[in-house]
Amino acid sequence: MKFHIIVCLKSVILSMSDKPIDRSPDSCELNPFDRPALETALRMKEKYGGIVTALSMGPENCMFALYEAMAMGVDQGVLVCDSAFAGADTLATSTTLAAAIKKLAPFDLVLFGTRTADSDTGQVGPQTAVLLDLQLVTGVQSIENHGSVIRVERSMDSFREKYEIFLPAALTIHPNSIQARDVGLIGIEVAFEDKEVKKWNLLDLGLSSDRVGEAGSSTRVNSVSRVDKERKCEILTGTNEDQIEELIRRLADSGLIG
Amino acid sequence: MDSFLSEKNRIVRQSVRAFCERELMPIAGEIDNEARFPWEVVEKMGKLCYFGIQVPRTLGGAGLDSVNYIILIEEISRACASIGLCVTVHNSVAVYPILAFGSEEQKRKWVPALAAGEKIGAFCLTEPNAGSDAAGIEATAIRDDGNHYVVNANKVFVTNGGIADICLFFVRTDPRAGRRGISVIVVERGTPGFVVGDLEDLCGMRANPVSSIRLYDCRVPKENLLGAEGAGLNIGLAALDTGRMGIAAQAVGIAQAALEEAVRYAKQRRQFGVAIAKHQAVQMMIADMATQLDAARLLVYRAAVLRDKGKPFSQASAMAKNYASETASKVTDMAVQIHGGYGYSKSYPVERYYRDARVTRIYEGTAEIHRMVIARNTLGI
Repeated sequence: MKFHIIVCLKSVILSMSDKPIDRSPDSCELNPFDRPALETALRMKEKYGGIVTALSMGPENCMFALYEAMAMGVDQGVLVCDSAFAGADTLATSTTLAAAIKKLAPFDLVLFGTRTADSDTGQVGPQTAVLLDLQLVTGVQSIENHGSVIRVERSMDSFREKYEIFLPAALTIHPNSIQARDVGLIGIEVAFEDKEVKKWNLLDLGLSSDRVGEAGSSTRVNSVSRVDKERKCEILTGTNEDQIEELIRRLADSGLIG
Repeated sequence: MDSFLSEKNRIVRQSVRAFCERELMPIAGEIDNEARFPWEVVEKMGKLCYFGIQVPRTLGGAGLDSVNYIILIEEISRACASIGLCVTVHNSVAVYPILAFGSEEQKRKWVPALAAGEKIGAFCLTEPNAGSDAAGIEATAIRDDGNHYVVNANKVFVTNGGIADICLFFVRTDPRAGRRGISVIVVERGTPGFVVGDLEDLCGMRANPVSSIRLYDCRVPKENLLGAEGAGLNIGLAALDTGRMGIAAQAVGIAQAALEEAVRYAKQRRQFGVAIAKHQAVQMMIADMATQLDAARLLVYRAAVLRDKGKPFSQASAMAKNYASETASKVTDMAVQIHGGYGYSKSYPVERYYRDARVTRIYEGTAEIHRMVIARNTLGI
């Protein structure tokens, strides 16, 4: 069975700032938590055949994340990009992605990273699955293909859970499940010369402007401020044994070791 | 600095940086100490096409342009200058001349394996009595039965010498023709009479197996002649224009690493109750390092852009190489100074940068030769 796998990606901000950040290749990178999802999709394509589409919502100068995905081996990239999408919370983002995924149908799997390195909510994958009425398993560590069903495994709190789900389905991929491949130079050249990123705007997705961006968001961030952690250095004294004992006592007292 | 680069350039930089920070940077000190060539990393670099970056895709390369090539060398050298050297010499003065001057058959024979990094290239020009004076080459190649050359050569300071499979030898095919009697013959390792000398015990670039290579009555098929008989110096000069750009990028990479280490250390080291970064004397050095480094990088990028546009870039390449190598020496020197006594110790990487930077003013044309070239072009004499 050949798959059409859609992987949702985000270009995340490299480091927070007190000033508004213009998302660009200089200030952003491909969300590291999305890389295992990409690798999972590419391995399934290599094993079973099919195509992989990378999908992202963001300003035009964040297209690099899609090119990077295509350099890894993704077949096509889709950027949903419109000024109406600006200021979206996770619900408005999921609404937009769900509309784009419907437009990409037919598909078998929609993969997400478990969370993003900049906002860290972990909500977009599950919300998008709900909006598309897809079965969802989160934190997946392995996938086995059995025709119209797949068997997936996830581990949680020292337990291993196995699920059998019908396709199409949505999965979020555990960050430690797989090491993403390095981007090779031939892949980069192929991505820019032989492949293309499609751009879809609000009109293409058939959404009304009150459902997307800031207008379609159900949450508002009131303020963001930097938290400065105070660090201090203490030198333990005494014999090595005394120092080790003292260190263990302090770590245990502060709940850092059990 | 990256703002004027394309998305493609940035992805090249990001991906090469991620690979080198993970695979090369952690072992750079160790392989320098042990003078060990890290095959385990180089094999991975081959799979990512670092050894065929500008080779056309039809011959197994990535087909990328010179700006991307510069970025590749800069990023590898930021992590480990010895391996940056291996990759730049391979690409610019071994693979490029075969692509530019080789026949279709020669390209098909040698280039795919070179592009994949399965075979490593070398450029064998320098001899005990010929270096800056390239026309003083004493190596000889004499046609014997009509189908072979018998080559005798003693080449020294061959970068990649200890591991190279496909070597471009500059030899004299006509002893009476002076500069026009020099030719390039490709000699493969393993040819009877091909002898690799001991590895040089160098001050820097210690993880690169720099060695001498001698050819004793080596019978080489006449098909291994690159270009025409007597075209050797032209091939060499064209290769060196490209090679110099690579060495300039290497110098920029070393200086970048030194600046980053100096900044990190200056913020962490405290003297007189504050981080030394708060002292104006240190700030002056950081300012000079950052400015000179950016200037050097811009010169290198200019040379690469000119080359990509098919415009003359010999002068730009000479300026870039000369300025970037001088900059690398100054910047690494200041990085050592900011580190104080620790900078002179092997506990910190800046002493390695300092040693590695020094040779960039010597190889692929000394600083003095470059100044001569630049002066002649500027004066029109």
